[in-house]
Amino acid sequence: MSFRPHHFSLPALLALAFFAFAIPQPASAQHSSATAPHVTVSLLVPPAQFAPGETFTAGLDFKMEEGWHVYWINAGDSGEPPSIKWTLPAGVTADAMQFPPPKRLPLGPLMDFGYEDDVVFPIPMHVAQDFRPAQPQATFAAHVTWLVCREVCIPGKADLALARTAWSKPAASPDVDAAAQNLIARFQSQLPKPLPATATATFAQNPKGFLLNVTTGSKQTSAQFFPLDETIIANAAPQPAQPTSNGVQLTLTKDENLQAPPQKLNGLLELPDGTAYEIHATPGVIAATTTAPPTVFTAILGAAGLAFIGGILLNLMPCVFPVLFIKGLSLVQSSQQERGKLRAHGWVYTLGILVSFWIVVAVLVILRAAGRQLGWGFQFQSPVFLALMAMLLFFLGLALAGQFEIGLSLTSAGGALAQKHGYAGSFFTGVLAMVVATPCTAPFMGAAIGYALAHPAWVSFAIFTALALGLALPYLALAYFPAWARILPKPGAWMEVLKQAVSIPIFATVIWLVWVFTQIAGTSALIGLLAAFLLLAVAGWFLGRWPGKTIATTIAALILIAAIGTSVWSVRALGMPSPAETAALASMIANGRIASSGAPSSQLPAPGSVWQPFTPALLQQSRAQGKPVFVDFTASWCLSCQVNERLILNRADVQQRLHESGAVLLRADWTNQDPDITQTLAALGRSGVPTYALYPADPAAPAKVLPEVLTPNIVMGALASLPSPPKSTAAMSLP
Amino acid sequence: MRHLPILTIAALCAALTLSAWAVKVGDPAPDFTATDSNGQTHKLSEYRGKFVVLEWTNNGCPYTRKHYTSGNMQNLQKEWTTKGVVWLTVLSSSPGAQGYMTASAENSYIQQVHASPTAALLDPSGALGHEYEARTTPDMYVIDPAGKLIYSGAIDDHPNDDPSDIPHSKNYVSAALTEAMSGQPIAIAYTRPYGCSVKYHGD
Repeated sequence: MSFRPHHFSLPALLALAFFAFAIPQPASAQHSSATAPHVTVSLLVPPAQFAPGETFTAGLDFKMEEGWHVYWINAGDSGEPPSIKWTLPAGVTADAMQFPPPKRLPLGPLMDFGYEDDVVFPIPMHVAQDFRPAQPQATFAAHVTWLVCREVCIPGKADLALARTAWSKPAASPDVDAAAQNLIARFQSQLPKPLPATATATFAQNPKGFLLNVTTGSKQTSAQFFPLDETIIANAAPQPAQPTSNGVQLTLTKDENLQAPPQKLNGLLELPDGTAYEIHATPGVIAATTTAPPTVFTAILGAAGLAFIGGILLNLMPCVFPVLFIKGLSLVQSSQQERGKLRAHGWVYTLGILVSFWIVVAVLVILRAAGRQLGWGFQFQSPVFLALMAMLLFFLGLALAGQFEIGLSLTSAGGALAQKHGYAGSFFTGVLAMVVATPCTAPFMGAAIGYALAHPAWVSFAIFTALALGLALPYLALAYFPAWARILPKPGAWMEVLKQAVSIPIFATVIWLVWVFTQIAGTSALIGLLAAFLLLAVAGWFLGRWPGKTIATTIAALILIAAIGTSVWSVRALGMPSPAETAALASMIANGRIASSGAPSSQLPAPGSVWQPFTPALLQQSRAQGKPVFVDFTASWCLSCQVNERLILNRADVQQRLHESGAVLLRADWTNQDPDITQTLAALGRSGVPTYALYPADPAAPAKVLPEVLTPNIVMGALASLPSPPKSTAAMSLP
Repeated sequence: MRHLPILTIAALCAALTLSAWAVKVGDPAPDFTATDSNGQTHKLSEYRGKFVVLEWTNNGCPYTRKHYTSGNMQNLQKEWTTKGVVWLTVLSSSPGAQGYMTASAENSYIQQVHASPTAALLDPSGALGHEYEARTTPDMYVIDPAGKLIYSGAIDDHPNDDPSDIPHSKNYVSAALTEAMSGQPIAIAYTRPYGCSVKYHGD
C-alpha cells in the first residue's frame, strides 16, 4: 500500500472502479484493507505470529485523497472520529485506539481537528499468559467505521481481517511485517506523552476564556492546544502564545455557552518541534508577570488601530471640534503661505498632540506604578483643573466674540504660550486639542485605554501614540494636501462672522464645564468661579479698549492672575467639604432630580429612590440574598453617562422592566475618585465610565457588561437573560 | 449639543459590535427575517408567545439523512407542531453546495419524505446560519415564548450517522421542550452539535 490514491489519474480511477465491480468478492473473504470513496483503510498487525504473554502494537491506517480528512478524538466543530470494534481470538485483547496529534482544519467560521494524507492510529494488543492456540491460524477481525470529509462528508464502514499464526511459545526468530511496523512506529512516536513529573499545567479563567500556562522546562516560542472536552474552548478562536522562561502560555477563548468554570482543562499541547503532551491543567494562580494578556504584535496592532479610529472620531466630539475649527480658521489665514510651511505647521501641531498624550501616559504609568489606580478622565475629577479649563475657554470665547483680539491669530488659544505665532502656536494648539479631548471617553477609547492600562508601559505608549495620531490626522491631512486647503474659502469679512460664531460652541463647552465644576466643588465655589469670569471679562475689556498698549496688557495680566487666584481660592475655601455630600448631590443630579436650590438636607435622595449608592458590600449582600444587581458606573463629568441615564435608564418602560426583574439598582458614582469603584471596574476589565454591569444573583456567575452606548433593547435584553423567577416561567409555558 | 456625535458613534459601535454579538443559551435569540420555500416571510419576533425550534438541514448530509430516512425528524416535527411549536427548518447551503435547494425542489422534497415543519427557510447566503453560528447539520435551537434561547446543540446523544442508535438515544430537543413546557429548568441546555459542517458560501 505504498501508492497514494490521489496520484491516480482519472482513467486510472475509472479502471480501478471497473475492476472493483468486475471482480465480485465474496463477503466472507478476509481483506486487511478496503478502498472506499476518497480513502483507503487498512488494518495493520505487524507480527506474523503471536504467543502467550506477548504485547505488540497493531494499527489502523487511513490513506486519504488530497483535501480529504478524517477526525481526531474530538472532531472540533463538526465531524466524528473513526471507531473500531474488534473480534479477536480468545485470550487476545486490544486497548483503545490511540490518536496522534491532529491538525487544525479551518472551514469557514468553523474549526475541525483531524488528519489529512495519511494517518495511523496505533492500538496496543495483549496476548494473555494463559493463551492456548485453539488452531494454528487465528483471525484478527475488526469492524471499522469512519467519516471522511472535504466539502462534503462521506461515512464509511468496512470489515477488515488478518490471519496470524498462533504459537504456544514465543518464536526464536519472529517474522514481522517490517513495513507495517515502521509505519505504526512513525505515528507511535508522535503520540502525546504524559507531562513530565517536573512540569506543570495550570490555567486561570478570565472574562474571555483561559490563560493556560504550561512549563515544559524550556522556553517555547509557540504551541497549539487541542481540547479533549468539546464544549469548553471556542475551537475556531486563535490561540496567541506567549513564551515564558520555562514553557509557554496560551490565551484560549472560551465557548460562548460555557456556564460553569471547568475543574480541569484536558487536551493536548503540541510544541513546534512536534512533541505533544497530554495536559490535564488544574486551576491555579498564574504569576503576576504573566497574567497580562500576551502582548502579541497583532493584538497590539488591533488595539492601536482602534485607538487611531477613536482619535479621528474625537475630532467630531464637541469638546475638540472648536479647536479643530480654530485650526481650520488659522489655516485659512495661512493659505497664502508656501506649502512647505503649512506642512511643517501640521507636523508641529501633531507633535503637540503627541507630546501631551505622552506626558499623560507617562503620568498614568507612574501613578499606576505608585499603586494608584486611575482611569481616563481623571483630570476632570479635579475642581481646580475644571475651573482653569472653564476660564481658559471663557476667555477664548470672549476673544472670539470680538471683545478683544489675541494678537492677530486665532491659533493662540491657550494663554501666553499658545499666543505665540508660528510653530510654538501650532504646538500648543495641539496641546490644547489633547487637553479638551480628555473628557470625551468615546466608546472606542474605552476599549483602547482599558487595553493600554492593562499592559506594559511601552504598549500604553503605542496605544496612546495611535490615539494622538488619529486626533491629529484631519488637520495634518488638511495641511498636507494643498488641494484640500484650496477648497477653503478665501480670507475675507466672512472670517469675522465665522470667528464670532465659533464662540457659541466655546461658550456651550464653558456651560458644561461649569456644570461639572458645580457637581464637584459645590454652589459656593461656583460663586468664586463666576467672579473669576467677571474678572476675565474686565481683563478682556482692557485688552480690547487699548489694544497693544503695554499698561493695558499689564493690567489685564494682573487681573488674569487675580481671576485664577479667585477660582483656586474659592475651590479651596468654599469647595464642598465632605465627599459624602458630593456623592449625595451627584446621585441627585444623576437621578434627574436637581434641586435648584435649598438646604443640603433636601438634596439627599428620597428613601424610596430606586438607585442606591454603590458599595462592594451592598453588591455582595444583594447577590447573597438571591437578587440580581444592576450597577450604573457613572460620573457627572461623563456626558455619555448622563445621556444614557436620561434617555434610556430613566425611561418609564425600562424602569418598569428593571423593577419587574427584581434587580437591585446601584449607582457607582466615580465623579470623585473612589478606589472601591476603580477596583470593581478593573474586575470587569474596564477602566472608565460609562460602564453598565448586570450581576446575576448567583455569586459564581460572571457579570454581564453592557455596551457603553445603551438602547432600551440592550437593557431589556440583558434583563431577559437573567434566570427567570419561577412565576414568570410558569406564565411562559404552553398547554 | 453633545447628543448628535454620541448617536453617530452609537450607530458606528452598533455596526462594529453586531458581528461580535454571540448567540448564547439564556440570552434573547437574535431576531431574523427569512423567506420560506413558499415565498412567505417569517420573523422570529412574530412568534413571541410560542416555542420555536430551528433545525439546520442539508439533505445530502449523512447525519441529516440518519434522522430523515429513519423518520425520526418527521416524527419530531409532527409531534411538536401539533403541540403548538413553530418548527423552522433552515437550509444554509450555498448555491452549488451540498444541500442547496430551490424553493420548488425543497417543496417536493418535503412532500417526498413526509416532513412537516412549519416552514423551510431558504438561507443560501448563510446570513441566518452565521447569525446563529450554526455549525453542523443537524444543529438544533429551541427558543422559548419570551424569545429566549433555551437550547442549542445536538439533536441527541448519539453523535453518529447510524439510524439504529435512534431508538435508544436521548433526544435533547424533545427533552428541552418537555421541560420548558412544564416550567422546569432545562437540564441540558447546551451540547456540541454533531454532523456535517454547514456548507456556507465561501467555505
